[in-house]
Amino acid sequence: MSTTSTAVSPQAVPRQRRGQRLVLWSALFLLLLVALTLLVVLTARHEDSRVQDQVDALAADAAAKVRSDLLRNQQSLQALAGHASTPERWRADATGLLRQNPELLRIERRAPDWLISLAVDSPLAPPLFAVIGRDDIDIDAVAACSAARRSAAPVFSGSYFVPLAGGGGLEVIDLCLPVLNGGRNEGYQLATLSLQALLSSALTPEQARRHEVSFIEGDGARLARSGLPRGMGVYRSDRLVELPGTRLRLRIDSAAGPPGPIPNLTTAAVLGLSVLLFTLALLLAGDVGRRARAESLLAEALAFRKAMEDSLITGLRARDLQGHISYVNPAFCAMVGFSPEELREARVPPYWPPELAETYRQRQDMRLAPGNAMQSPSREGVETLFMRKNGERFAVMIYEAPLVDGQGRHTGWMSAVLDVSAQRRIEDLSRQQQERLQATARLATIGEMASLLSHELNQPLAAIASYASGSLNLMDQPDADTPALLRQAMERVAEQAERAGRVIKSVHDFVRRREQLHETIGVDLLLDAVLPLVRLQARKSGTQVQTDVPQPAPRVLCDRTMVEQVLLNLARNAIQAMEHGSDSAARVLRIRVRQTHERWVTFYVADAGPGIDRELGAQLFTPFFTTRSDGMGLGLSLCRTVVEQHGGAMDFDSPVPGTRTGTEFRFTLPAAPVPKPAAIESGAPQILST
Amino acid sequence: MSLNLDPTLGLPVAFLVDDEDVVRDALAWLLRSRRLLSEGFASAEAFWQQLQARRGGDAAWPSAPLCLVLDVRMPGTSGLELFERLVDAALLPVLPVIFLTGHGDVPTAVAAVKRGAFDFVEKPFSNNTLVDRIEQALALSAAELSRRRELRSRARRMAELTERESEVMRLVIEGYPNKRIANALGISVRTVEVHRARVFEKMDVKSAVELANRLRDPPA
Repeated sequence: MSTTSTAVSPQAVPRQRRGQRLVLWSALFLLLLVALTLLVVLTARHEDSRVQDQVDALAADAAAKVRSDLLRNQQSLQALAGHASTPERWRADATGLLRQNPELLRIERRAPDWLISLAVDSPLAPPLFAVIGRDDIDIDAVAACSAARRSAAPVFSGSYFVPLAGGGGLEVIDLCLPVLNGGRNEGYQLATLSLQALLSSALTPEQARRHEVSFIEGDGARLARSGLPRGMGVYRSDRLVELPGTRLRLRIDSAAGPPGPIPNLTTAAVLGLSVLLFTLALLLAGDVGRRARAESLLAEALAFRKAMEDSLITGLRARDLQGHISYVNPAFCAMVGFSPEELREARVPPYWPPELAETYRQRQDMRLAPGNAMQSPSREGVETLFMRKNGERFAVMIYEAPLVDGQGRHTGWMSAVLDVSAQRRIEDLSRQQQERLQATARLATIGEMASLLSHELNQPLAAIASYASGSLNLMDQPDADTPALLRQAMERVAEQAERAGRVIKSVHDFVRRREQLHETIGVDLLLDAVLPLVRLQARKSGTQVQTDVPQPAPRVLCDRTMVEQVLLNLARNAIQAMEHGSDSAARVLRIRVRQTHERWVTFYVADAGPGIDRELGAQLFTPFFTTRSDGMGLGLSLCRTVVEQHGGAMDFDSPVPGTRTGTEFRFTLPAAPVPKPAAIESGAPQILST
Repeated sequence: MSLNLDPTLGLPVAFLVDDEDVVRDALAWLLRSRRLLSEGFASAEAFWQQLQARRGGDAAWPSAPLCLVLDVRMPGTSGLELFERLVDAALLPVLPVIFLTGHGDVPTAVAAVKRGAFDFVEKPFSNNTLVDRIEQALALSAAELSRRRELRSRARRMAELTERESEVMRLVIEGYPNKRIANALGISVRTVEVHRARVFEKMDVKSAVELANRLRDPPA
């Protein structure tokens, strides 16, 4: 029980692996997502700071530019203040100055008591104080000039708004220079500058397209602005422009809004896609590699299978359900002598002998009939006759199996075809050889018998010779008893001559090979034919021969010669079994016959030899198995063959039933049909006799 | 040809041992036609029993010349086995054995002859030749019987000699003259002569030469 519970089912391992793979893949995607998000955020932040830096730099540049512009204007104005001797001359110089510097809107000369002595408006702009008089809004200028006089240096005023005709207005700034002559204040030179114009020149047109530049007050109110777009208020930078007497706050506001996620997402998407693509490429490469490996394995397997099919000596033939050949291997082609193309294209298999084609077709139709489709008709093989291309007929053995495709459909038949003609030839040959051997074995027996026979014939011949010699002796010296003695001698001579004749006849009957003719014969006659020879042999080892045949003797239907041979062989084996080891008084050969069944007669041949052990017994009927150095080992196998040819059976028991030693061979022969009168006499039912 | 044997011996008998009645009868009949007595036995065992019974403890057995015609191959005790028993019982000299052999037994029979059998005759035999051999065998048996009888009578005579007579006889046979014998034995020549005459009388001889001949072992 514990083993089954701990055992891992075969499916569990792949499932577990698949789960691991899922986790790995999810982790990969999650990491990828985090990385991409981080990327987006970092990129956005980087973009943010970059734009901010740009804006900061631009603000610094713009502030410096404004400042340098103002300082340049200051210098130009100082020069104007110093050189201008006459009012005309000053006016001309001032006008020139205004013309050159668009940010300058108006230059005034004022007396120490603030009164305007001279004033020139910029020719490039509408007159500044057309809507409101200069006197109404010169408080900033006066404050600046006061500071300038005190410090004896140029001073800027705070900015102030000058309304213009048409509802608009300008934010302007004044620059006041004290005009000194030998340490004495001779008045002031005042220039009004447009903040707007200052801003316009602070940025290059390129920069102006993307940024708004403005001066703002402390609370963030815009005083003046420049640049095409309105700032988005996301990226801005303020710079203070320090001027004598005042300070200006300059602001750069980028038109760029907050960094949108979209462009970064695009980047991320591209990146992600690239990663995915790369992964896919890797996966594909792996897949392609696996595919290539699988293909090479497949090719190898195919080559192996092809080599196998080609090297087979068994012919292979595949047929579809219509009986057309779809495949043959080289062995099959070599067997029948037709090429694969010829075989595939033929309507009727060309290897069918024409005289048998009709039979074969019927057989094939029956085989291919739908009802018989899935039955395997010839697992054991079917022997049939094929024809080679040269017309030679030959025997083949066909083993057929249904051909089933991947979907389990029955698509045809695969047959293995073996050329058994050589085998048949060998079988014929061995049959002939066996017959020859049988004859040889019989001859060997006869040869062995011949020496015994001479002994057996010697007895009567010796007796005859003795009587003859004795008679001659008597006749040399005849007396009264001589005629009676001679008569006795002659009678004995006649008896012995007859006996010799019987011996000769029994041998003659035995040797003569008969046709395999089954005849009805009494068992006693069979034994009578064999016993003289058996007794001959028995004498050699001093063996007693006992026979036991019921009276009347049963009659059997058999080939007399063959059965006699069997009896003789068994008797000879029995005698030989007792030749060694056993006590000579115990050497008894028993031949017994019984009608064991109404259709069978059983013969028993028993010896008192040492018996046959089990291992030996298993091989006993094997041809060419022998325990004798001079034996051929055919005797028992032939005997069994003969008995089986008669429909009987042969067996043996060792030890002999009811004893402890010896071996008893027994075989059955068909009993001759009982003659009718005997059946009636024995009271057999009448039904049987009809 | 007829058999000339010592008439003082009994009538010679040939024993026939063969399991084949026919052969036995035919041979008996043939011997009878040559005026020879025969006795048949169907098996070696039967013959051996009979032999033992007749022999008993009699040292003088047999009184008549005998011979045995023996078939080599028989059921039960074979001829060879019987032959071995006869060899062991030292009966061969008085019971010469003639083997009857079949075609395949010649080497066996030759071996038997080397072990002391009188002869073997191959079947089918030339009948009168066999009978001749039987007669020769009987003659051999008779000679052996005579020799044994001679040995027995000599032993009987020698047993009658006194100790002194035996000593004198031994020296006489050695060929010593009476004077030397008298010196050797420390007795007078006269006494030697008396002993000598007594020895001659008891041993039934006339001279010293005859005595020496008698004491020499008779021919086997």
